[in-house]
Amino acid sequence: MSAETGTDASASRTGTTSSTSSVNPDSVRAVARKDFRDSIRSWVFWGLSIFFFMLLVATTGIISYFGDDIAAQGQTTTALVGLVQGITSLVIPLIALILGWKSIAGERESGSLKILLSLPHSRKDVLLGKLIGRSTVLSVSLIAGFVLAAIVVAALLGSFSVADYAGLLAVSILYGVAYTSLAVSLSSVTRSTTIAGAAMFGLFVLFYIIWDTVIVALSMLMNAGYLPQNETTAQATLLFNSLSLNSAYQNVLSLVTSMGETSPQTVALLEGMFGSVPFYLQDWFSFIILLAWIVVPIAIALYRFDRVDL
Amino acid sequence: MPALRVDELTKSYGQTLALDTLSFEVHEGEVFGFLGPNGAGKSTTINVVLDFIRPTAGRVEVLGLDAQAHSREIRSRTGVLPEGYQVYDRLTARQHLEFAIESKGSDDEPEALLERVGLTDAIDRKAGGYSKGMAQRLMLAMALVGEPDLLILDEPSTGLDPNGAREMREIVREENARGATVFFSSHSMEQVEAVCDRVGILQDGQMVAVDSVEGLRDSIGGGTSLRVTVDRIDDDALQAVRSLPTVSNVAAEDRDPPTITAQVDGSKTTVLAELEDHGVEVRDFSTTEASLEDVFQSYTTGAEVTAR
Repeated sequence: MSAETGTDASASRTGTTSSTSSVNPDSVRAVARKDFRDSIRSWVFWGLSIFFFMLLVATTGIISYFGDDIAAQGQTTTALVGLVQGITSLVIPLIALILGWKSIAGERESGSLKILLSLPHSRKDVLLGKLIGRSTVLSVSLIAGFVLAAIVVAALLGSFSVADYAGLLAVSILYGVAYTSLAVSLSSVTRSTTIAGAAMFGLFVLFYIIWDTVIVALSMLMNAGYLPQNETTAQATLLFNSLSLNSAYQNVLSLVTSMGETSPQTVALLEGMFGSVPFYLQDWFSFIILLAWIVVPIAIALYRFDRVDL
Repeated sequence: MPALRVDELTKSYGQTLALDTLSFEVHEGEVFGFLGPNGAGKSTTINVVLDFIRPTAGRVEVLGLDAQAHSREIRSRTGVLPEGYQVYDRLTARQHLEFAIESKGSDDEPEALLERVGLTDAIDRKAGGYSKGMAQRLMLAMALVGEPDLLILDEPSTGLDPNGAREMREIVREENARGATVFFSSHSMEQVEAVCDRVGILQDGQMVAVDSVEGLRDSIGGGTSLRVTVDRIDDDALQAVRSLPTVSNVAAEDRDPPTITAQVDGSKTTVLAELEDHGVEVRDFSTTEASLEDVFQSYTTGAEVTAR
């Protein structure tokens, strides 16, 4: 099972040429399973599941209690998706970063990484296994919370849309995996958990403060006349906004569920401005952005982690 | 084919030279003691062997394979007891071993391995509560998974009491008898002399001596200290003994009973015969060998070795 599939045939004489490791699916699975077992304290898992359960049930309760108008329009699940994502868009990143920040740096600091890498796993296997292991903890607790709450939600809501509910769950999982990918990747570029922790904080600040601030600043500069108030600047601002992981989460949700479809008025406005709705404001593009936030960080980490002294 | 071949290996960290064109070989089927004081570069060498760190220059071959390009295959045939590790607190000994067994694709039984290292009692306890010695036993059991061709044990006696260290040496002998090559690092000669076929002494990133245990003893020149009890002291006899090429530091103590002491590198019977040829009656004699610890000290501190 641990057949050598090394790609670096040119054995380095000097040691300065970088070596790249191979990926073995069995190895990745073994690491992921061990990591899942090790990282999961049962209370974390159940705590998260109960948290998601409560979140859904409480939101549903509020809608069914106050939301007569919503119910009258048969939009209860849509309203649920909208309210829940307002909370999960903040809470899922927090959970993912907390689950992931020590994943590699912690093992490097304590030396348990030596146990993993003394066994026939490549460094890539370890990173991927960690990402899968930690993502599984978050995903399984999301699924558990959602599935358990489904009965209550379906009973309380007048019109329960399984598609919207499942869509919210699926996109939330992807969103969680993206933040886990960021967390594991950042954790692999440092040997200190302190720095890793600071990086997680920085990531949070980036997505929740800096990104929005940049957009506000761009608009202000445009309004004040420091930036040309033309189509290019407007496009750049909108593009920048759509690249944010958090916008991608909302946009993909509106693609998958019936939440927050772009209103015909907005479409008309955008078409008036740009001739047509720009590609990066279309929902399919936000799906690519969401996937890119999963793939790009871990790809960079895979490249770099192979090349460092542990 | 050597089990391990280190060829002109250099590793520097900025200005610090951890390994300086280090070269040595470990033969297939031997127990090799890799000895050196803390900070000599033993762990750095092992880290290159396992591809945890990359050489600045030079190369390492393990089981005939390049340590960097074929690390996965090397590690699938190698059992490792690393140094400075930490066990997974929330996993039991059984889960640790299941992970190693799954990783290596072997069909070992966790119970059997833990029995060999004497950790059966704690099999289903979380490793977070283990003592250093128990963790060390667990890691040794993990190293034994899959009957590896090569065992790399980095300071395996750390945290073990004398009894545990003896059991560990016993396992080294068993594994060697099975056919495994054992590469065994230590900062203490005492740990390696009992089990090692050959010993390499590392000092400041360079190998200062590689030899068998006996060879090292001889090479140091301390040889054997001979103490002979005689009936009388005879100057001619002393002179004759002093003139023997293999003898040094000859001293006579004219007391009761008269005693002659000498450092002997060659045969001690030559000395005894020389005394008797000069009519001196040898009543008793004893020898003391220079301990390997002294040999090690002399290589790593530059101190003179004299047999006690």
